[in-house]
Amino acid sequence: MEAVLRQLQNILELLTVSQTDRVREWDQHTLQRAFQWAEYCEQLHSRFQSNPTVRSALEAGLRDTNQRLQDALPAHSPVMFSDLAQCQHKLLVHLLTNPYSPNSVVQILFPNPKTAEQEFQFDQSSFITCKSAFNLLCCSFERTSQPGLRVEAEVRGKLLRELLNSLLTRPGNDEYARTVLDCILRDSAGKPGCIYDVIAAALLSGDDDTDAVTQRFILAWIHERDGCVSELCRSLSPGVCAVLSRQSPEFKRAYWGVLKQWASCLQYDVMGSVWVPTSDGPVTFNVLADRLNHLLISGAPLKEDTETELNALKLGDGDFSVKGISVWTDLIIQLKIGS
Amino acid sequence: MAAVSETDVQFWMAKALSWGQATSCSTLLDTSRHLDYLKSFLQQVLLGLQQMSSTSEAMKTFPFVGQFLGRLCWNPCVIADERSQRLLLRCLSCLYSAEPLDAVERKANTWVKNMLCHLISEEDGSVSHATVKHAGSSPKRYHSEALQKVVSLMTEEVIKSCEGLPKTSARCSNENIHTMSTACVALVTCPQMAPLIGALLKHSMLCGSSCLNQEFIKEVSKALISKRLVLEDEAVVTLWCLSPTCLEGAAVSLLESVLSDHESMTQSLDKHVNDSLLPQASADYCHIFLTVNEIYRNVLTEIDENLALRALVQVFTACFLQRVTGQKPQDRLPLRAFFPNVTPRLLSPLLTAPSEVPREAWLDHLSWIRSLLQSVTENEEAGGDVRAYETVFEAWFLLVQCGYWVDTAVELLVLAVPENAEPLLWLLTFFHHPTNRGHQRSQQTAVAKEAWTHLRILFLSRPPPPSHLGAVKELLSSSLSTNLALHLFSNFAIFSHGPVSIITEITDKVLTEAAVKRRALWILASIRCRLNSAASRDDRVHSRLRTLQDTLLQT
Repeated sequence: MEAVLRQLQNILELLTVSQTDRVREWDQHTLQRAFQWAEYCEQLHSRFQSNPTVRSALEAGLRDTNQRLQDALPAHSPVMFSDLAQCQHKLLVHLLTNPYSPNSVVQILFPNPKTAEQEFQFDQSSFITCKSAFNLLCCSFERTSQPGLRVEAEVRGKLLRELLNSLLTRPGNDEYARTVLDCILRDSAGKPGCIYDVIAAALLSGDDDTDAVTQRFILAWIHERDGCVSELCRSLSPGVCAVLSRQSPEFKRAYWGVLKQWASCLQYDVMGSVWVPTSDGPVTFNVLADRLNHLLISGAPLKEDTETELNALKLGDGDFSVKGISVWTDLIIQLKIGS
Repeated sequence: MAAVSETDVQFWMAKALSWGQATSCSTLLDTSRHLDYLKSFLQQVLLGLQQMSSTSEAMKTFPFVGQFLGRLCWNPCVIADERSQRLLLRCLSCLYSAEPLDAVERKANTWVKNMLCHLISEEDGSVSHATVKHAGSSPKRYHSEALQKVVSLMTEEVIKSCEGLPKTSARCSNENIHTMSTACVALVTCPQMAPLIGALLKHSMLCGSSCLNQEFIKEVSKALISKRLVLEDEAVVTLWCLSPTCLEGAAVSLLESVLSDHESMTQSLDKHVNDSLLPQASADYCHIFLTVNEIYRNVLTEIDENLALRALVQVFTACFLQRVTGQKPQDRLPLRAFFPNVTPRLLSPLLTAPSEVPREAWLDHLSWIRSLLQSVTENEEAGGDVRAYETVFEAWFLLVQCGYWVDTAVELLVLAVPENAEPLLWLLTFFHHPTNRGHQRSQQTAVAKEAWTHLRILFLSRPPPPSHLGAVKELLSSSLSTNLALHLFSNFAIFSHGPVSIITEITDKVLTEAAVKRRALWILASIRCRLNSAASRDDRVHSRLRTLQDTLLQT
């Protein structure tokens, strides 16, 4: 363990140095060694990612080293345990963005058949191919089976699910798994809507009962975060929400909570004879109706459940048959539901 | 120095601009269509850049290059294609200066590094960035798995659409298939794509109409022939059915590899032929057999003396017939369908392999074949018109295809008594000299008889009499009868009794020219293939064959 922690310290220092002007001194040999150490870190991560005891020991070591390096070099950006999985990539990116990095950095990326044997190569071409192949195929594949989820979200969701499965099958990883989801949400802040598609895909991609743990975990995480449920439901399409409601009673309850909350933000405009959203109302009457409609057309048992719920809500509001008093009555009328 | 033409530059700059990030179907289609030409253009640009002495000079000579390459780096279609990616990266590396001398070069260096960074990273704040960063594995592994998943989803979709159940509500229309195949044009050599490519090809077969992008079919067949793609056997055969060009390419490719006369070819010709998948495909699809046959037949009319080609035709047909015999009776077409141009009564005797006829009956069987062929040739001589000539040619071609019977005849000649030799010699002569040009048949038959006589004495007497050695040597070097003499000689060496050492002794004395020795190897190749499919293995014969081969290979 001692030796491991020392190696970690070394690699952290290396990563920091790779962002400073000291890289001018790096020669081929240093470069090669740096990448080898980075690869070692990746293996470390892969081995101990789902082992809470070792992981926390390593995390503690990282915290200490981060602190030390922060004090010594203000340029240092803290390295988390999860970052270790991509150590070589991080190193490469640092070197490419560092104006002081030696020329050999660029040369290692271009496989030169003449010098291939002696020199160190870090060929990225198959990686670049995979990445663009993935992007290309996602662009070209119009998937009509899954309701409203693009294939890119579906694949990313599946991969996320697999990661969570591997973490949650071992005890003691809940906190860590939660951090993963938190970080993903935080880091996709540039395009908040799309991440919810990935999360929905992750929820939908579990196939058998052994996955139930992960299912519950993701739903619990959604609930714990302020405003996440309503954000999620708002950005997911009505069709996807319907499928999720079919699949998971928990989600269905949460969804209804959101729908009711949205309904409460609608008020009746007597002049126009329409329901309009209040100033902070997130959706219009028609949007709400459309969402309910998707629940209805998804077939039994969801159809019956939805009808029952709507009727119960109408009853709760006074069981009016006249428009303009209870939003639920009007919705039922619009959706042409018999009572 | 071939500069890049201004019209080309303008054309490609406009294209790169209009393609943008190639996300829509129509852009994708356009990019795929132009990919080959783009690669040629990039090649030209690369050559131009390589001749520059510095980046500054490059930027002055090719002012468009920065913007052009930059735009292409954002196009996943261009990047995904193995060759265009490599060309692009090499162009970028040309613009990088190890010792930047001015601001232009320093700026170029930063720009090159930024491009590289962009190629390996995701846009900050995007979903892809977030999911890759916290994926718990390296970006390389993430994308490899992601690619595999998307390929398997797409493959599943294609397979489902083949089942054509109404309840799947037309989930995969022809347009979808077409778009998918368009996307695959750039990805044909990516190893993970093989299942999708196979499924797309199969879909096209099952659904009748060819909704596949033609570029896709072309690229797949190019990649297959140059071995940059490995497909399942079924997919390869499907491709041949979809693309006659591809099938012809495969047949020609096999032919070329045989004619280039590699040592390994002669040693395991049947394996090579079977590995090409052509015999199996020919047995399953009559039109494939007819196409391949046509190609080989045409080549044979040009170089009919070429023993390598003859060996190929013979072995191909033998492998094909083996496959046909292995088929279920209900799947089998009548052999007539595969040999439409031949006189029907020739089919049965020739297409029955010697391994299916008991050894004792070989002589009679061969006499039967001889009499049939003789009547065909006599018709020709009598009629003298083109039609009759064609009949003789087809009959002769069938004999070449069923060369195992000629080999059998020659094997029998080794131990035959003079009374039985005549039909066998006739067959051998006809095989090597099908036309009766200038009424030479009688002369050629005489030469055959002479060769046979000399060889008998040579291999039966000990020590080999020098006069016969000399006679055989002459026959083997005179171009008129070399092939025939070689044929006889090889069989004598292999099938005669007597000590093995005699093979080397005699061969060294009579076969001196390297070119002739190489030709003999082809005769050995077909003998070996015939022995491989025999009912039982004769070790004595195999060891003699090996000895002869070793002797011939010694330079």
